[in-house]
Amino acid sequence: MKLFPILLLGLLAHTAATAQLRVVGRVSDAETGEALIGVTIAVQGAPMGTISDAEGRYALEVPDLNATLIFTYTGYVEQQVALQGRTSLDVALVPQSEVIGEIVVVGYGSQRKSDLTGAVGTVKTREIERIPTASVDQALQGKIAGVYVVPASGQPGAGAVVRIRGTGTLNNANPLYVVDGMLLEDASFVNPQDVESIEVLKDASATAIYGNRGANGVIIITTKRGKAGERAAIALNSYYGTQALTRKIPMANAAQFAQMYNELRGQPFFPDPEALGAGTNWQDVTYRQAPIASVQLSAAGGSDKFTYNIAGNYFNQSGIVRQSEFERVTLRLNNEYRVNRTVQLGHNVSFASANSQNAPGVLLSTLWMPPIYAERDSTGRFSDPTFFGTAIGNPAADLFYKSRNFSRNNRLVGTLYGDLKLGEYFTFRSNFGLDYGIARSRYYEPVFEVSVSQRNANDRLELGFNENRSWLWENTLTFNREWKHLRLNALAGYTAQETRFEYFGASRSNFPAGIDELLYLSAGNDTTQLNYGGAGEWAMVSYLGRINLTLFERYLLTASFRADGSSRFSPKNRWGYFPSFAVGWNIAQEAFMANQRLFDRLKLRASWGVVGNDKTQLYPSFGVIQGNLYAIFGPNEALNTGATLTTLSNPDVRWEETSQTDVGLEMALLNGRLSAEVDWYHRLTYDILYELPIPDYVGSAGNPVVNVADVRNRGWDVTLSWRDTRGKVSYNLGAIFSTVRNEVVELDARKSEVRAAGTAQGDFATRTIVGRSIGEFYGFQVAGIFQNADDLNRYPRLGNEKPGDFRYEDINGDGKITDADKVFLGSPIPRLTYGFSAGFEWAGLDFAADFFGVQGNKVVSAWQMARFGVYNWHQRYYEGRWTGEGTSNSVPRVTNGGHNYRMSSFYVQDGSFFRLRSIVLGYTLPPSLTKRVGIQRARFYLNGTNLWTRQAYDGYSPEFPGSSVFSAGVDYGSYPIAKTVSFGVDVTF
Amino acid sequence: MNRLARSFIPSLLLLSTLAVLSCQKDFLDRKPLGQLTYENFFQNAEQAIQATNAVYNQFRSWDCVGLPYLGCTDIISDDADKGSTPNDAPYMLELDSFTFDATNIAFASVWRGYFRVVARANIAISEIPNIDMDAALRARLVGECKFLRAYAYLLLVQWFGDLPLITRPLTGDEYYAQERQPKAVIYDQIERDLLEALEVLPEKSQYAAADLGRATKGAARGLLTKLYMVKKDFAKAEQYALEVINSGQYSLLPRYSDNFLPVGENGAESVFEIGCVALPAPIAGPGASPYNMIQGVRGVPNLGWGFNRPSDNLVASYEPGDPRREATVIYVGEVLPDGSTIVQDNPEIINERYNQKAWVPAHPGLQDNGPGNIRILRYADILLLAAEALNENGKASQALQYLNQVRKRARGTNNFILPDVTTTDQAQLRERIYRERRAELAMEQHRWFDLLRWGRAASVMQALGKQFFVPGKHELLPIPQSEIDLTEGRMRQNPGY
Repeated sequence: MKLFPILLLGLLAHTAATAQLRVVGRVSDAETGEALIGVTIAVQGAPMGTISDAEGRYALEVPDLNATLIFTYTGYVEQQVALQGRTSLDVALVPQSEVIGEIVVVGYGSQRKSDLTGAVGTVKTREIERIPTASVDQALQGKIAGVYVVPASGQPGAGAVVRIRGTGTLNNANPLYVVDGMLLEDASFVNPQDVESIEVLKDASATAIYGNRGANGVIIITTKRGKAGERAAIALNSYYGTQALTRKIPMANAAQFAQMYNELRGQPFFPDPEALGAGTNWQDVTYRQAPIASVQLSAAGGSDKFTYNIAGNYFNQSGIVRQSEFERVTLRLNNEYRVNRTVQLGHNVSFASANSQNAPGVLLSTLWMPPIYAERDSTGRFSDPTFFGTAIGNPAADLFYKSRNFSRNNRLVGTLYGDLKLGEYFTFRSNFGLDYGIARSRYYEPVFEVSVSQRNANDRLELGFNENRSWLWENTLTFNREWKHLRLNALAGYTAQETRFEYFGASRSNFPAGIDELLYLSAGNDTTQLNYGGAGEWAMVSYLGRINLTLFERYLLTASFRADGSSRFSPKNRWGYFPSFAVGWNIAQEAFMANQRLFDRLKLRASWGVVGNDKTQLYPSFGVIQGNLYAIFGPNEALNTGATLTTLSNPDVRWEETSQTDVGLEMALLNGRLSAEVDWYHRLTYDILYELPIPDYVGSAGNPVVNVADVRNRGWDVTLSWRDTRGKVSYNLGAIFSTVRNEVVELDARKSEVRAAGTAQGDFATRTIVGRSIGEFYGFQVAGIFQNADDLNRYPRLGNEKPGDFRYEDINGDGKITDADKVFLGSPIPRLTYGFSAGFEWAGLDFAADFFGVQGNKVVSAWQMARFGVYNWHQRYYEGRWTGEGTSNSVPRVTNGGHNYRMSSFYVQDGSFFRLRSIVLGYTLPPSLTKRVGIQRARFYLNGTNLWTRQAYDGYSPEFPGSSVFSAGVDYGSYPIAKTVSFGVDVTF
Repeated sequence: MNRLARSFIPSLLLLSTLAVLSCQKDFLDRKPLGQLTYENFFQNAEQAIQATNAVYNQFRSWDCVGLPYLGCTDIISDDADKGSTPNDAPYMLELDSFTFDATNIAFASVWRGYFRVVARANIAISEIPNIDMDAALRARLVGECKFLRAYAYLLLVQWFGDLPLITRPLTGDEYYAQERQPKAVIYDQIERDLLEALEVLPEKSQYAAADLGRATKGAARGLLTKLYMVKKDFAKAEQYALEVINSGQYSLLPRYSDNFLPVGENGAESVFEIGCVALPAPIAGPGASPYNMIQGVRGVPNLGWGFNRPSDNLVASYEPGDPRREATVIYVGEVLPDGSTIVQDNPEIINERYNQKAWVPAHPGLQDNGPGNIRILRYADILLLAAEALNENGKASQALQYLNQVRKRARGTNNFILPDVTTTDQAQLRERIYRERRAELAMEQHRWFDLLRWGRAASVMQALGKQFFVPGKHELLPIPQSEIDLTEGRMRQNPGY
């Protein structure tokens, strides 16, 4: 590494013609204070220069004492310092990785950050480690402008839904994951503590090389590797914490429930509601405080022939819902071997083995269960709530009887690659990746009876087995050459990938009661055995190419192309072609910028490209015959096999494509202390794939995949960061903002609107039309409450409303409430997402805090469109309800019929929130102390996650990604997220 | 590394790459694994039979014979109330009280259920004729499907009035483009389907035992009778009812209550019914329906959810001593027909009563695992339709003959009850026939349709004190709101909704 600056020196420095004034000084690392050896020191505008010695010292002749010295050193920010008469000058260089990350990983290679023409966000290991989670995605929330992360659920081990630049636009808007070169649909197996860096490719210039899978952005995860020449480092990282619900939903208590029930029935069914008191808060029954823990042991190092990183991790998380657990062991082996001067081999192999216990579905029944019941009645039986309807099961009973539900997931993901240098400029790389997983499930449900609808007459053990194998083979040829004023990097390649899975399951009944070690199929009755199975596959072939040009260190050009063939589409629609072009201009390198001190880096870039998305069903163009449609005939009542097409298909389904334009400005100012990156993007997605609802008269059991709409996303991504050292204190501040304006440009020719997100009451919650954002909420506007008979006569009604019911706004003034009176009630897409971070280090102490927020979106509490008396209600109903003329003009009377459950503005709430995502306080013992006992570094820290949130929504966290963009932001009853407090230790030997 | 190896390795890799490229066409050609597709199905007689069976299959679904169906037939009529506990399924209360709007999920459910029958029938009717197979069997299968399609449309047209007419599988461009056709057009299609089915279907006795339960000539004639009654074409109704009667295929069972027990399944009185069987636990479900469970005794014994409660009005409507009342209603304290147990009082249910015709003796139980065949068309129904048509056609004495056959069987050996009707006055006889239909067919999901075709829904509902019934509106159910939304209003709503 130290050779490079010396070579540079040779290019730059010529011997000074005349001996002049002498300046001396020392160059050190701004972070550690250690001497930097081999730093290039040049005089601006003069042919003189030198390098620092083994102690970081230098001596240099300068033409005059007003000269400016330029300090450059690989991996550090260049610094220019005016002498201003001084003859002694000590300089501390800021490591570049801390500021901008000089080398950025991109698709099929890496690039100097300064040469990059695309919009790429980077997160480094230290920022990821801060969040105690099993999922890399969850650790990304609020880290990169334009990357919106929603926890998929609070379930232990759960991942997250990631949306890059605008609530996608697609039926499956998940980004592509590239883990050490393996293309994957998820990264759930990656242990966050193994991660070196995560790069998020946002614009088409960066993603187009991934063609048909780049449309939703690409997340490249690079795991840690050993470094050549590095002494072996053995590290132990461990934390332990406890999690709890961030908030409870205030549901009506027993006395309130009874009072409302009396009102519903119009008679004192409960003679003395008050006597019932608070009753049972079912959230206390279902939720708990739960521990989370992780231990990681790793070793990394290397010589010039061989580098290695070995890591093992044990992670254990209990869910805040009882009877849910997640436990995972991950092992990783990343080695690289330099066979000889031309051949280099390497592998990144990880193995993850996860066990989990899955809680039964009790989230909604926990909210809906009447609080007048105890978990068990006076006889010790589980309380039977079906007086209030068959739809509710006692959650305590479900947790008791239905929780022997386990899954075990073993997954091996690895890549094996070889680099062959062909001559001076060509490198051939062959990369073979494998993702092999076996998932097993085991569920036992005993015989039990709580009620007419919550019972199981026959015990049953069900085992499931799924094998998934995906291989990827990529062959690329790279040409890399530097001329005096030109750097050229060209890439051409061919790749193929295939995924195939097969599952089967079996079950038996009649197991000896209560003996867990007999819960294997062999102990069941073989006359009760059943089995099932199925399989699927897809394949893809691609050609790709790219050229990166850097002229005069300042003019950048990138062009890429990819052609993809996908098995999912019929031959006529099979191939997709995805080009991109980008230009960049490093303005700070221009001669006219030579005399300014403000900018260390200033780059303008612009890109355009087309990417695609084929994430839809495996066989959307085939109509599949369903074969278990038995008919019963004859005196013996035999099952006669029936089979037919039940779900329609669409043979014409084709690629979804996105064209994206991006203009960005990157800058680093004030000696790298301030850096900023601003991007404007414009994304147009054509032919969005969606399972478009079709009318029921068509008679299809499911909806065929259709290319339904064209959608535009426009917005700004802004990243700002400030980093400085004052005396012994170094501190940083950061902010990200991103805005998105989503607009539907065109719909399927047969449709002028798309209705989606059905509610339990037979309405659709969203309507999508041209000119508005996708999936906007739609329904009646509540104008008030009918107070009396006069009101009922004066205002138009929907049906047989009574005093106390919603009065909907007669928007078109025709004296009737009809569909024509429905209005748009807000968009689930945040106009602004933002994050702030702050941190400092001082005398071994380190502190960091991250905030994250979204603004300008609405959510719909669909679970609250419940008929009272069947389900318990939110306390806001109790407190605000109409009980007689003049008592309320916003919350209706207690009723279990009528029209108050129609989709209306009443159920639409503000979805904005602002959250303290994480806060960390750490202390590193003085190295001088720890080194005596052989410890390089020992750090202790206290971490809090999701400790504080400000939100208007009256449910759990208002983050509901939805199954499609047409139904986002609808709360059907989601798993709440947890807050966590943990304590951790990092020790490096 | 020597020069040979240097050029050897890349060429090897290049060659293998080319090898993959050359078979790329196959590499990307993937078909569903382990599943037949529309393209490779409909190849032989076996598959033609399967496609036909799949149409029958749909009739056992929740959407076709579940709670929404009972809501839109019995509960909405004067025969039954919602039943069950006061809080369970409030959307059914709205049907009973006519306070529903177009989003009530009951309407979407039956609409969806029977249009799926139509869709499955359309697939079979359009694909089976292309299969190389025995011509007679091919014709029969198509006839069965046409019969089933006609039955689905007959229900839908009585509920909803004008309908989209769909007689072949729709293609993508047609999904949203359908409009409601006048009900006369729907009647014509039903008539055409039934007449074509009648041509090719065998009589009940011509089927092999193992095929008992498939559509027959008698069933087609019976449904034609119903269609013409709805259209008030009494001459044709008389013709087809008499054809059923004179076919010699059917007779009344000696004991009325046997019709609803296993012994009566596909018996002499059965003109058409949907076969169901409840299998024991491991494979429960594939042969069963939710029909029995929904209406089963709730509490002790725990046989189901207790919906569709015979109304006070129905109980009071029987002639003195009519044993059919006891065969129709289960009361608290009653010993179940198989003598298994006594129905105990469930304090959570007001005026507890159950539909005995949906009761089934001991069976494997389990969710939705009802074994009882669902009776669609009984010979007694045909006799009463014959009587009704004959009376309308001025043939009172002939009408009396069939009316009294039904009464005689109901009376059994007890000559003190249900005397023969003797009046030949058309108006009086009409009333007697109407009353007899209610007593004979109560809780069998016919009553609402009878009230509609008699034009009496409004007067009967108002007499019951159902203040929200609006004449001229509630005779038709609303088109499900979702259909109107998805077709952007192309599907027009019924008046008043």
